[in-house]
Parts: sequence; structure tokens; C-alpha cells
Amino acid sequence: MGLQEQYRKEAAELLSSGEVKLVIGYGEGTTADRRRPVFVRSAELVSRLVLDASGVANLSAYLVPEGLLSDGKKVAVFLKPDGVRSINILAAEAQLDPGQVVILGFDIEGGQPTPLPGRKASDYAPLIESLKGSGLSPELQAEADRLEQMGAAERFEYWKEQFSKCIKCYACRQVCPMCYCRRCIVDVNQPQWINTSSHTLGNFEWNIIRAFHLAGRCVACGGCDRSCPVNIPLRLINHRMAKEALDTFGHYAGESADQKPVLATFRQDDPETFIL
Amino acid sequence: MSEPFEPKIVAFVCTYCTYAGADLAGTSRMKYAPNVRIVRLPCTGRISPMFILKALQKGADGVLVSGCHPGDCHFAQGNYHARRRWTVFRALLAFTGIPEERVKFSWVSAAEGAKFTELINGITDSIRALGPFEQYQELQKVIETQSTY
Repeated sequence: MGLQEQYRKEAAELLSSGEVKLVIGYGEGTTADRRRPVFVRSAELVSRLVLDASGVANLSAYLVPEGLLSDGKKVAVFLKPDGVRSINILAAEAQLDPGQVVILGFDIEGGQPTPLPGRKASDYAPLIESLKGSGLSPELQAEADRLEQMGAAERFEYWKEQFSKCIKCYACRQVCPMCYCRRCIVDVNQPQWINTSSHTLGNFEWNIIRAFHLAGRCVACGGCDRSCPVNIPLRLINHRMAKEALDTFGHYAGESADQKPVLATFRQDDPETFIL
Repeated sequence: MSEPFEPKIVAFVCTYCTYAGADLAGTSRMKYAPNVRIVRLPCTGRISPMFILKALQKGADGVLVSGCHPGDCHFAQGNYHARRRWTVFRALLAFTGIPEERVKFSWVSAAEGAKFTELINGITDSIRALGPFEQYQELQKVIETQSTY
């Protein structure tokens, strides 16, 4: 029995026993290699759930819309380890109660989904610990290294070219489980911090602030990168921020539900070599 | 004949330490470069990275952020939080190619009028040597000249 069948069966049991009110999983997409989220509320419909190597999106983003969890009932969701880290961060930031999330865990190895046994976020602590500091894919790492070696002016030109493509569709924000603000800073117009037209300067500001707000929170699920219609390598910036949080403050995002957000805490002996 | 370049520098300072330090420099009749525009805020913890970007967007050639020494914050912890934020923000500026030399951070207490004077003079000289922040201002000009935006 494949993992898909196993999890369909488990989803049906969870729904018919009333343990969860909803199962969030992957369903058929518009093309054979795409998956879209499906929301299954009754055991008869579990056949809509699909689980294969195309299930890459971090579905934890669908847990944060207001009111979904306010009735105290549980929701089951298909999650990879990065998704579990998102759950931990959302719990640490008081956006949800991890006790209400039943995790149908899996990972993709060798083009096949493999099961992960934990059903609670806390079950994943050893696995997350073992992932700590895991880097980018070799191609992206090569690109990151190339950028690090550039001078500031050359790097500015690189990002200017990348950001000049941005059309400010905010797909990167919409897809991100961490971007749950009801009113995003880019939508604030009194004062208007960020130029809203998609000219390069405004794009610079938007992308810098987006990356800053994800510092020490991004779990590198790659959703922003995949959703970007103009292929800006957002993962590179996010990775740089995650690296800074890990190297300087020893903070690996989403280790546990009671981990303090890196920028909401401090140590008296934090490094300050750059301060005059 | 063109005028020599004089940089515009925006200083975001906390009201309890650095602003008082600047005040001391003034009442002690110390002279410092007039290139700096001081913006007084309650605490360095109040200074969002957005302020720095906005200053650069509006034509600043350099930005200074300054507050109380660690341990001296009026609100006990504001500068510690700010310090973490700056550490991360600096890394981000460096990674996107915005020159780090244009954004400076310092601690100046209410007693350090002389340090404030030296700091402002030093920063003004270094930014003057760097020249105007043309890379960024170029982008702003595009907005102002193209009516399609």
C-alpha cells in the first residue's frame, strides 16, 4: 500500500471519528506535475487527496486564516519537516495552538514520498535538530557563493536587475506561512513606507523589507521562489538571513513551539563589532 | 563652476541619550558639520529599518542611527533589541549591495557631547569621500521623470 492510500485511509478515520474537522492536503492540479491544496471535510471525499513527489508546497499557510482554528477543533494537514518548523514558529508567535494540528508527515526521498511517523509537532524535535544548518541545493549554493564574492557595486547591479523584473504581485507574500499580518506594511498608505508602483526602487524596498521580516523565521520551504512569476531568486536572500540568524545568534527557525523569535529577544553579550 | 559636494546625512537618535548628547555639544558650543539632519525618536527600539530605507529613498547620502550605550536604555531593553535588528539588517544591506559604509550605528550617551561632535564630523568626511549615493538616487530619478509610474 502506497503512502497515498495509507494517508487517505488515515484521513478518512480522522474525519469519521470526528477527531479532526478538516484535512488539508494536496489534490490534482491543472497539469500532471502540479498540486493544489484541497480541503476535505468528509470521509467520502478523501479520494481527492493526492500524495506524490509533486507535493512540495508548505500547507501550513492554510492554517492561519482567521477563525479556522478558533472553535478549538483539530485540523489535519500534510506536512514535510519544513512545514512542521512553520507550525512551531506560528505557535511561538501565538498564531495557533499546536495541539490543534494533526500532522500527516512525509518527506520526499528519491522521487517518492516517504512517511514520517510523528503526528504532533513536538514529535519532530530530533528530526529538526538533525536538519539544523542544512544548506541550499548545490546550484543555489554556487550562486550564493558567487554573490558573496562580488563587490558591493556589482551585487547592487545584480539585485537591481533581478528586482527590476518584479511586478509587485505579492505572490511571495501570499504563499508564505509567515506572512500572516492582516495589514501588510506594503498596504499601509499613511505613511506610505514602500513605493507601491513596480518600479525598481519600490521593488528594492519591498524585497528588502520582505526578507527582513522573514529573518530568523523563514524555513526555506521555497514557496516564494516557486510562486514568483518572474523568477527572482528569493531563496538566496532568505537563506542569507537564516544564515545570519544561525551564525550570529545560534537561532534555527522553528526548532520548537516555545522558541523565542530571534528579533524579539536578545542577549546582553550579543556581538556589536560594527557599532561606533 | 560647480559647487563641491556636501553630503546629506540623516541621524535617527534616541531622545534620552544621543539627542541629549547632541544638546550637550550645542550648549558646550562645540562645532560640528551642518550636514546632519537629526530626527529624534523615543528609543532606538523604535527605529524601524524602514526609516533607513526611506531616508535613502528621499535622497540621503548617509544614515546614522544612534542610541544609549548597552545597559543605559531608558526603557531598559530597547537598545538591545535594536542591536539585534541592526545586525541582521546590516547583513541584508550588504547582501543586496547597498554600501555598508553609508549606514552607521553608534552609542552616544548624554554626557558624550565631544564624542557626538567627532562622530558627526568623521561620518560627514567619510560620506563626502564616498560621494553622493548615485546608485540609489538614480532609481528615484527614474520615478520622477517617467510619468508612466
